[in-house]
Amino acid sequence: MKSLAVVIGLALAVTAAAQTPYDILLKGGHVIDPRNDLNAARDVAVKDGKIARVEANIPASEAAKVVDVSGLYVTPGLIDLHVHVYAGTGARRGYNGDSSIYPDGFTLRSGVTTVVDVGSSGWEQFEDFKDRVIARSKTRVLSMLNIVSAGMTSGPEEHDTSEFDPEATAKMAKKYPGVIVGVKSAHYRHPDWTSVEKAVEAGTLADIPVMVDFGSNYPDARPLADLLTKKLRPGDIYTHCFAGNRDELLYETGKINPGMFAGRERGVKFDVGHGGGSFRWDVAVAALKQGFPPDSISTDLHVGSMNRGMQTMIRTVSKIYNLDVPLYDVIKMSTSNPANQIKRTDLGHLSVGAVADIAVIRDERGTYGFADSRGARYTGSKLLVSELTLREGDVVWDLNGLAGVHWKDVRERRRGQGRGRRRGQR
Amino acid sequence: MTKFLPRLALLSCLLACSLFAQYDLLLQGGHVIDARNDIDGLKDVAIKDGRIAAVADSIDTSKAEKVVDVSGLYVTPGLVDIHVHVYAGTGMKGAYSGDNSVYPDGFSFRSGVTTMVDVGSSGWRNFPDFKQRVIDRAQTRVLSMLNIVGKGMGGGKIEQNLDDMDADATAKMAKQYPDTIVGVKCAHYAGPEWDPVERAVAAGTKADIPVMVDFGYFREERPFEELVTKKLRPGDMYTHTYLGRVPLLDENNKPRPYLFEAQKRGVKFDVGHGGGSFWWFQAVPSVKNGFIADSISTDLHIGSMNTGMKTMANVMSKFLALGLPLADVVRKSTWEPARQIKRTDLGHLSVGAGADVAVFRLDKGEFGFLDVRGARNMGDQLLSCELTLRDGSVKWDLNGRAGTPWQEAQGSTP
Repeated sequence: MKSLAVVIGLALAVTAAAQTPYDILLKGGHVIDPRNDLNAARDVAVKDGKIARVEANIPASEAAKVVDVSGLYVTPGLIDLHVHVYAGTGARRGYNGDSSIYPDGFTLRSGVTTVVDVGSSGWEQFEDFKDRVIARSKTRVLSMLNIVSAGMTSGPEEHDTSEFDPEATAKMAKKYPGVIVGVKSAHYRHPDWTSVEKAVEAGTLADIPVMVDFGSNYPDARPLADLLTKKLRPGDIYTHCFAGNRDELLYETGKINPGMFAGRERGVKFDVGHGGGSFRWDVAVAALKQGFPPDSISTDLHVGSMNRGMQTMIRTVSKIYNLDVPLYDVIKMSTSNPANQIKRTDLGHLSVGAVADIAVIRDERGTYGFADSRGARYTGSKLLVSELTLREGDVVWDLNGLAGVHWKDVRERRRGQGRGRRRGQR
Repeated sequence: MTKFLPRLALLSCLLACSLFAQYDLLLQGGHVIDARNDIDGLKDVAIKDGRIAAVADSIDTSKAEKVVDVSGLYVTPGLVDIHVHVYAGTGMKGAYSGDNSVYPDGFSFRSGVTTMVDVGSSGWRNFPDFKQRVIDRAQTRVLSMLNIVGKGMGGGKIEQNLDDMDADATAKMAKQYPDTIVGVKCAHYAGPEWDPVERAVAAGTKADIPVMVDFGYFREERPFEELVTKKLRPGDMYTHTYLGRVPLLDENNKPRPYLFEAQKRGVKFDVGHGGGSFWWFQAVPSVKNGFIADSISTDLHIGSMNTGMKTMANVMSKFLALGLPLADVVRKSTWEPARQIKRTDLGHLSVGAGADVAVFRLDKGEFGFLDVRGARNMGDQLLSCELTLRDGSVKWDLNGRAGTPWQEAQGSTP
């Protein structure tokens, strides 16, 4: 008798699903989808993990589940172009180990559905990284291979030119196209260009961009302007762009390095890469005042940044938002811009047919403090909060239970719930 | 040279100040909640050398090297979350002794937690690996309850293997690490026998530490009532209090009398929210009618972190939504769990105690809280962690309250 009721219930559910064209409908939100030039009130319907329809006033009756997102912004799932998530190897201090963190506890709650691990692994360890983290995460994890074969060990390998192998790096990148989306040069402490040149060589062989963390500052031997105007190709990425460690801001004059403008003119892209030591308010404020916004906003998430000024992607985005950058622009810097930079143009937008990676964001007003990587505080009036995140159409974060049902309305499900009761009685 | 003179002057001033300052840090103007010391009111808190140096109505700011204004905020002992799973990094798929665990530091400080108790992710066989892999490398204070299963929470058959439930070996390992191993865990058992519970209690008795029980499958052969009224010793804990299948409520939706008997006996009830163990339909009538969990904890793991549980502060806010006073919620997250694990050096702000301190903002508004089935309850208060200190050093600072305005920061351009 009980099973008959279940069968009938199931049949009804199936019928209902068949009658509703959409699985989930986000209703009443304001959509910001820069790739599609969309910045307006729209409903967003999802079916089978993909964006099915984006229109004003999609009827609620057409969806199996309706989530009221009025008063909120609906954006593509954020893409964090700079993280370190090669955790679990046990390597002490290295970003290919203890300095990394697993992604899922930091991404989804912050509206992020795609991260790019930049250089925690080199070609040698990439397949271990893939098996250990990429394949086991709900977050879409992409990678830029470190030009250092041994990866980001935080040891002498990172400065040993015999570790730089463009051919092996490119070969591995070509083996995993779309997952390996770039080559990273980082932390190099010698005054020569070898690290950058080998990374560009690998990037050229594999036809993918290079991201540079410019390492130690050698203003004479390898000046920033030369990197941006001579060494990098159009489409390559300069990260830690507001770090202030390598003459991004010329402190004597208070001017942003003219090489930054010249590099941008050539098509070099500028990434925030906040990190534990790479975001200074004086640099960021000067840059924005002088007309130099970043191309992409990213966290440089790792154990040294997560509990300091950086905190989360959504707060990092809020920092740039508080520098009088319009919301539309900061969303662009966190969605379609980074997607384009890594040539993953299937991501970072809400086009019909695209994967339903979606962030729902609240734009709060109040008084908020934002520390930079030195602990210097900027007081702002705007804060973005991640309310709801969908990954391939599934709700993977729901801060206030927007997609939930009031508890009294699910009370009748009380009896027979729980694997223990059922299995225990069999 | 002239360029450096002002900096030199500043440096020597800083040096002198720090040498002569009586306190390293002063949290000024906050509302202190410290259950151990019966404090629930406005107090300043001063810290020196990583310890609580003074708690008083008003402490002279000139005595402190650094003053942080925490007016309008609540200052509490660093939270003690007595139910987490943080044995990450082993690569074991589908197991709490591996992929289901998370590393502690990314979840603890941002939620005011300074001490976590991993309950049973490791057993006596793999505790040394857990210790070197996580405990010794974490900034969070990580304590452990050993699983009565030697291999810990390895999932599947590993946890059902009665042959690997060795009270002697468990007690021996616990005695080897008395500062770190604070209990014995029994969990996830599916069979009809009492053996896992009995062996956990035997181990706990041998090592003089409490037992925490996750009752696994609730079976008629071993009734829950018997567990909490007979099998567990006073001081032992039942976790997952508001799980759906716990026989808490009678037909009139009132807590069953044996629950109060058990509490009277001294058995402790822990929340252990988790990914499946906090149901509003159990919690609302229970709390309303006086059956209230003793300790609030998260059961943090990959299956709970992104669902209804989220963070320790969120779980505490749920108990505010259930009508508990803030002081009770804080006590159940600090002093009470510290006592349960017999770590009375933790969970309070007595002078001389380690300066593990949390500072919370209590927002008013309309907040939704999901349980583990996607059922939502509404509340009008939300705790957010503003600042966390571990041994006196700032580990989390949401709004940069301990920072300097950027225009005044050293080395900034004019």
